Amino acid sequence: MRTFVTGASGFLGQRVVVALLERGGRVVCLVRRSANLEPLRRLAEQHTGRLDFVWGTLAQPASYADSLEGCACVYHVAAAMKGGTAVLFQNNVVATSELVKAAGRCGVGRFVLISSLAVYGSQSLPTGGVLDETCTLDPQPHLRDPYTYSKHSQEAAVQTACFDARLPIVVVRPGVIYGPGRDCITSRVGLQIGGLLICMGGRQELPYTHVDNCAEAIALAGLTARIEGEAFNIVDDNPPTARQLLRRYRREVARVRTVRIPHIGIMPLSRMCQWYNAYSRGQLPAVLTPYKSAAMWKVIRYSNAKAKRMLSWQPRINFDQGLEATFSALREQNLAHKISA
Amino acid sequence: MSPDVSSNSTTHVRSSIMTKRELKIALVGCGQIADAHLQEIRKIPDVQLVAVCDRAEPLARQAAGRFGVPDIFTNVNELLQSVHPDVLHITTPPQTHRAVALAAFEAGTHVYSEKPFSLDADEATQILSAAQNARLKVCVGHDQLFDPIWVRCREMFRSGRLGDVVHVESIQGYDLSGPFGQVLAAESDHWVHRLPGGLFQNTISHALYRITDFMLDETPQVMAAWRDVHGAGYPTDLRVMLWGKGVSANLVFSTQARPIQRVARIFGTRQIIEVDMDAQVIRCQPAFTLPGALTKLQVPARQFMEAARNLRRNIWRFARSDIHYFAGMKGIFERFYAAIRDEGEDPISPAEIVRVTAIMDAIFESCRDDTAENHPVVDGTQDNSVLPSPADRSSTQPVGAARDGGRG
Repeated sequence: MRTFVTGASGFLGQRVVVALLERGGRVVCLVRRSANLEPLRRLAEQHTGRLDFVWGTLAQPASYADSLEGCACVYHVAAAMKGGTAVLFQNNVVATSELVKAAGRCGVGRFVLISSLAVYGSQSLPTGGVLDETCTLDPQPHLRDPYTYSKHSQEAAVQTACFDARLPIVVVRPGVIYGPGRDCITSRVGLQIGGLLICMGGRQELPYTHVDNCAEAIALAGLTARIEGEAFNIVDDNPPTARQLLRRYRREVARVRTVRIPHIGIMPLSRMCQWYNAYSRGQLPAVLTPYKSAAMWKVIRYSNAKAKRMLSWQPRINFDQGLEATFSALREQNLAHKISA
Repeated sequence: MSPDVSSNSTTHVRSSIMTKRELKIALVGCGQIADAHLQEIRKIPDVQLVAVCDRAEPLARQAAGRFGVPDIFTNVNELLQSVHPDVLHITTPPQTHRAVALAAFEAGTHVYSEKPFSLDADEATQILSAAQNARLKVCVGHDQLFDPIWVRCREMFRSGRLGDVVHVESIQGYDLSGPFGQVLAAESDHWVHRLPGGLFQNTISHALYRITDFMLDETPQVMAAWRDVHGAGYPTDLRVMLWGKGVSANLVFSTQARPIQRVARIFGTRQIIEVDMDAQVIRCQPAFTLPGALTKLQVPARQFMEAARNLRRNIWRFARSDIHYFAGMKGIFERFYAAIRDEGEDPISPAEIVRVTAIMDAIFESCRDDTAENHPVVDGTQDNSVLPSPADRSSTQPVGAARDGGRG
């Protein structure tokens, strides 16, 4: 089976390519000229004749459109994560719609969209509630951060474009993807300001998924029969809380200077930030607002039951193994920084 | 993303004599800089944002949603004919400025255009002639001239504290690894690469008008060179030297120097001042007044006192919520809207728009000459610091593709 993967040279994309190759497929990778292709080239040597490259970008449909011919599935892994709202919309919404149209014209059998767990309106869940695929998507995504807003709009745009193109779609909504090569102290734990980490709460479960587990689920989303139109949340089993992760990080990786805001203080602080942003006419950005904070740091639980049931997915790497490998990579990185400094 | 300007529209010229009524503002091109425009327009009283337009509907929709704009369009002619704005802000790629501006003039709408104003001085003249014929106002986004710290610098000059200005050094840093830089690296046919001056044409306006604000020559002598210091496949760094009758200048555009700076040093006959746009401070270097070794105490003591004054001033501004990155933009918008209401002069005169554009043309011409002289084409292998000449600019062939045999 021939599949097409966008973002193939990225942190997640590379693992998705591996997962597909391990299942015997043939993979066409859309890659930028400026990307580091060494890992993919090594894979190409190991899987001779089953890994092809297409040089191009999503912004230039002509660069990849011909390569979609004969592909059974498109895995849209590429995503812009930084920049302003307009840039994120250009890359995540506009460019993705063009990809769907091209895939529809070429008769692709399925479109697997890698979305985000952030698209849910988790702020409406009660404390201790469970977030699963039955929860509604955020009704006011423009009040969230630019990335979440763009992913939310991307889902809507892709649903429409797939309907128009009669292209079956499967949506995968991973939580925060971690693993060797990426830091695991993220905004779900707290906000980095200068050299200081402002820890938000601490009791909240972290909706993390190891990059290899996530890649496995994504591969299955393209290969499993009769799941068209479904969406799957991907988080690993038994996630640590923010406090547990930070404690372990301090013990095994490096000291972190922190200020902790207890759960009870998050909402008053958020309201104050929002008020000051309005009062000062934007002198400081509204990094915290009650709406954003409720979505990010509320103590809720995350279910992966649907993915396990319908995709027959099992997170093979547990948190102990995943964090150990991640911390080890971070220690080496820190050491390398010290040596180079 | 550029708008669709294909269809014609009826001429609808409104009187330029207006009472202080609410101006209807529309914007075309909902890319990154549009956010700054919309944010600052919303702070101005007596104006109303009526519509935004972008060829990509999701971009128009997100901008309208976040800034509370009631109407969205994907065709600028439809916008002009439907909502009849008083002012159209053009934040599309420069290649489209002329067509969009002419469409706006036909609809009787004043135009505020982001920098660079046009592809070259000829095009700038065409746009300004059309505006004059339609009795409409035009302004270009030289907004940092209205930034509070630059206004203070001008006040110091006017008060005579600098003496006569003899030299200006303007430094502009740029981060190629930033979100926009990464897009440029990945997309060899990005509209920036197709500008006659490439990346620099899109970015050096601010650094250049900090110089031309003091150098009033119509056609100063220009020596310039650009280089690709990163192996990016296009010129990334630029050095310019300008000689006017009484004032000389350097312009440094660096993608390597850190921290990234927006700084101008004004060399007067009485003192030298350094205007730091990011830190919002002015550092002064007056003449020494103490003899010999005492100078070594006097200078740091003065610097210490000056730093304390700058800190106090910025704390006071912060307390008054007066530190905003795009403060200059609000200032120039207010003056432009006042000029439309006949309540003040044009913030940037048409002659100034053409003069700055012509100097920019001369800079890129000098760079091309330098490349031809010092990095000629040998055995069919083109130097990687070549950008298209004005004659080639209509070509859709990517700059990178011409160099490396088919990037992207």
